[in-house]
Amino acid sequence: MYHSRQMTRRFVLPVALLVFGIPRLAAAAGDDDARLSALQHQLEQVQAALQQLSDENRALREHQEEVDRKLAQLSAAQPQVSPPSQVAAVPPAAPAAGAAALPNTSALPNSSALPNGSALPNTAALPNGAPLPPGPVPTSDSPGGYRPLASLGGLRFWGYGEAYYTDPTSARKESQFDLARAVFGIGYQFDQRTEFNSEYEVEHAVSSATDVGEFEVEQFYVDRRLNDAVTVRAGLFLMPFGLLNEYHEPTNFYGVQRNFVETLIIPSTWREGGFNLHGSTDSGFGWNVGLTTGFDLSKWDFAPEFPTYRNALTLEDNDVAPLQATHQELALANAQHLSQYLALSYFGIPGLTLGAAVTTGDAVPVPAPPNAPIPGNERVTLWEAHARWTPARWDLSALYARGTFSNTALANVANPGSPNPLPASFYGYFVQAAYKLWQQGDYAFNPFARFERYTMGASYEGTTGPVVPLGIVPLSAAPGDYGTWPLNHDRVWTVGANFYLGQHLVLKTDYQWFQENVNFKRFDLGLGLAF
Amino acid sequence: MRGEARHAALACSALLIVTLAGCGGGDAGGGGTPAPPAESAKAQAGEALFFDQSLSASGKQACGTCHVPTRAFSGDPVTDHGLPVPLGGRNMDLPGFRNAPSLLYAALTPAFFLNAGTPTGGFFRDGRASSLAEQAQQPFVTSFEMANADATEVLARLNASPATLKLFVSAFGSAVLSDAQATLADIGAAIAAYEAEDPDFAPFSSKYDLWLEGKATLTAAEQNGLALFNNPVKGNCTACHPSQRQGYSDHALFTDFTYDNIGVPRNWNIPANTPGATSPISGVPLDYIPVQTNVPADAEYTYYDMGLCGPFAPAANDPNPRPSFMTITTLCGNFKVPTLRNVAITSPYFHNGNFATLHKVVQWYVTRDINNNTGNNPAPVPAGPGGNPYFTVGTPYVAADGSPDLYEYNDLPVAFDANVNIGEVPYTPPTFSGGQAPTLTAQEIDDVVAFLCTLTDGFDPNNPSAYNVPAQCAAGAN
Repeated sequence: MYHSRQMTRRFVLPVALLVFGIPRLAAAAGDDDARLSALQHQLEQVQAALQQLSDENRALREHQEEVDRKLAQLSAAQPQVSPPSQVAAVPPAAPAAGAAALPNTSALPNSSALPNGSALPNTAALPNGAPLPPGPVPTSDSPGGYRPLASLGGLRFWGYGEAYYTDPTSARKESQFDLARAVFGIGYQFDQRTEFNSEYEVEHAVSSATDVGEFEVEQFYVDRRLNDAVTVRAGLFLMPFGLLNEYHEPTNFYGVQRNFVETLIIPSTWREGGFNLHGSTDSGFGWNVGLTTGFDLSKWDFAPEFPTYRNALTLEDNDVAPLQATHQELALANAQHLSQYLALSYFGIPGLTLGAAVTTGDAVPVPAPPNAPIPGNERVTLWEAHARWTPARWDLSALYARGTFSNTALANVANPGSPNPLPASFYGYFVQAAYKLWQQGDYAFNPFARFERYTMGASYEGTTGPVVPLGIVPLSAAPGDYGTWPLNHDRVWTVGANFYLGQHLVLKTDYQWFQENVNFKRFDLGLGLAF
Repeated sequence: MRGEARHAALACSALLIVTLAGCGGGDAGGGGTPAPPAESAKAQAGEALFFDQSLSASGKQACGTCHVPTRAFSGDPVTDHGLPVPLGGRNMDLPGFRNAPSLLYAALTPAFFLNAGTPTGGFFRDGRASSLAEQAQQPFVTSFEMANADATEVLARLNASPATLKLFVSAFGSAVLSDAQATLADIGAAIAAYEAEDPDFAPFSSKYDLWLEGKATLTAAEQNGLALFNNPVKGNCTACHPSQRQGYSDHALFTDFTYDNIGVPRNWNIPANTPGATSPISGVPLDYIPVQTNVPADAEYTYYDMGLCGPFAPAANDPNPRPSFMTITTLCGNFKVPTLRNVAITSPYFHNGNFATLHKVVQWYVTRDINNNTGNNPAPVPAGPGGNPYFTVGTPYVAADGSPDLYEYNDLPVAFDANVNIGEVPYTPPTFSGGQAPTLTAQEIDDVVAFLCTLTDGFDPNNPSAYNVPAQCAAGAN
């Protein structure tokens, strides 16, 4: 409708000019044949302009119809695990061809699954071929399916956030209640083909020089739709890897915290600066290829005096994993070396999403003395493959990711005894099943279970691996603060449930068991929202 | 070529981004060591000033007297009559207060700053000089060192030393000689330039460095020593003496330039530590010992060297003095972490020179709180079944008469005992490993010392047997 109104305005103006302008020109023609001839010429020009407007109007209407058709398909694809309100609004039906299962571990496919509030009416512009338009509720009267709560002309706002209580049951003194993140997004649509999106995040409630919180620009990019099939993006954007990274809003994944594989192996939230081309086909193939900033291995800490994490929460939060510790987030990022990536996805079968991605590029190397031998470029490579299937009330997903650092031997040899050498490879995988057990009114209750395995150091060069201190050791410089030094690999079971209160709000709970770092087991409660 | 390759990669990716191959940035690196630039006129003047004994009141002391080149520019106990501190003054009979540190790599020290509240950098062991140039001026006018009464006397001596004066004028001109204070400032600047420019002050030519460069091989013991040095629950030395580059240099400097209070035992061989002390050379009273106002009334002794919180303060004419910490009692006892480069040839050790060998230093580190049977130690830690394997008789914490002292950390007023670092390895806290066993075995201590010896500069891979390492580095030394 917005388009229709806009088109109407664009049409009325030239018609009005014609109605009031032509009689005056005709009166003048009676005095001068030459002028009449000129007026006739001008009339022809006006008629040509009218024809052009008419053609444009037809094209826009066709485009609008195409958008509406796609949105209708999307709406039809959503009922599997939607909260009741959505199910009521959109009858369960087999998703139309070309629509896809959820592009993530989403428990709420019609909520803001997308990393931005894109208003581009072209689903091909979505990263990784994701079929869902941004915004919480794709509707036919909101371009691109996005209906921001606040909108002023081309300006749009959105947001999400999550707070959680974590109780490590083996170390209850470390229980925490944290406003993990509060995020607000700002977008602006310059025209029907060009838009800007950005997200700003405050982590841990208070950000200052003396507080633990951080303020970050999580996304800041411009999309330009080249045609219906291809969009180019430039700026700081989320990398299209895995099921979660681009769709990390709390309403979109199971579990109070994000899964470990998509935190420790695929960093989360992982963004890089650069540009990409992306698009999708009507048959359900999505593609995304780009050139971005890479990793900085000079940031690696070979000599942590104390464990860099002591429980599951700090394991995820402290940037200890190989790519967490070395990504640059476009903060004065070293751009001597760039990385390239390719992500492919297939969502042509209703209820099924398949995807894979790979990135590789040289990293900023580990510093070495000026005359030390050069080991060769230290290359960082990461690849992943994922699948998601949502038959009936089920939501099944799996993911495998593996990364490598090359030419790390000399750096490790120079740091013998390190509890944290550079790994040559690291990997993780998970399988997850969720089931929509109950729904009533705006409420829905979806229990889930997940098994995941990760290792932040699967192999090493120049060392046999971390020198992991045994026994009870100091965990910090605080007198009397002792415990065991955690291992950098684990197998984790998670069971829990997401309880939806409408489409924007979710309450979560889970319990996690760790087979290696057994003292990490924890009980979590979470509150998440996205709009 | 590298830049062209990158631009080509950018261009091809921008146009098509179809192929992944060949789009990464290249990095060839390499290159040899450029020849060191010729020293500036300032540095040449600084070298002359550094070794010119005629600039002292005694005529027998220069910077190089207490910072001996063959000892990595640290002090020499032989010339100091066996004292752990230098002798100076007009009659060369006045002992100083602190062990003279090595000046190698000193120019890489950052100016004093608070790193997230943590004191870091600065010159002298207490960081009270804002720059190397400021530091270099002070001994000229310190009564128990070069002992000039003031800058005017320094200027007069410079005018009477033709060779040095000629170099000084070449660097700074003659006009400055009309201002004694400005002349002294330029003397400091010249010496700082010498220390910064002369490659002898930062050779990075140790066996360890050449091992990193692939030109030397560390023995198994040395490699194990480095691993123990790095291991956070064994030596954990790297926590304060990082073996990783820290941003102050392209090389690891084995100091993080922070300050720590490690509870070193009081050294009774420093004359100032004995009440009513006199010169061991002439017997004259040491009337220059500072009178401290921040020593608590219940302290065992009247004089303590407490590092950051005194007794010494930034010079009045220091243009950028660090804050005064005289009243910040939590910093009392904190001294700047020194580099461990060349540590094998810079004995004795610590700010007060209390230990003569590296073995004793490491043995003390790993047993500091074990079985220190001092008189009133409020929480003595019992030794394990094997007792304290390294201090089987007595304790390092002794009173002037050699008997166990009243308190363990006897070089610090007991009221400030809480300042001592007890939370980090290798200090052995009561509940760690049962509170009884040191973190390093005797063999491991040998290995750590073997590694420390590899930090001695001057290793020639073509003539390894000529390596200048002292007896304490020999296998089996203890």
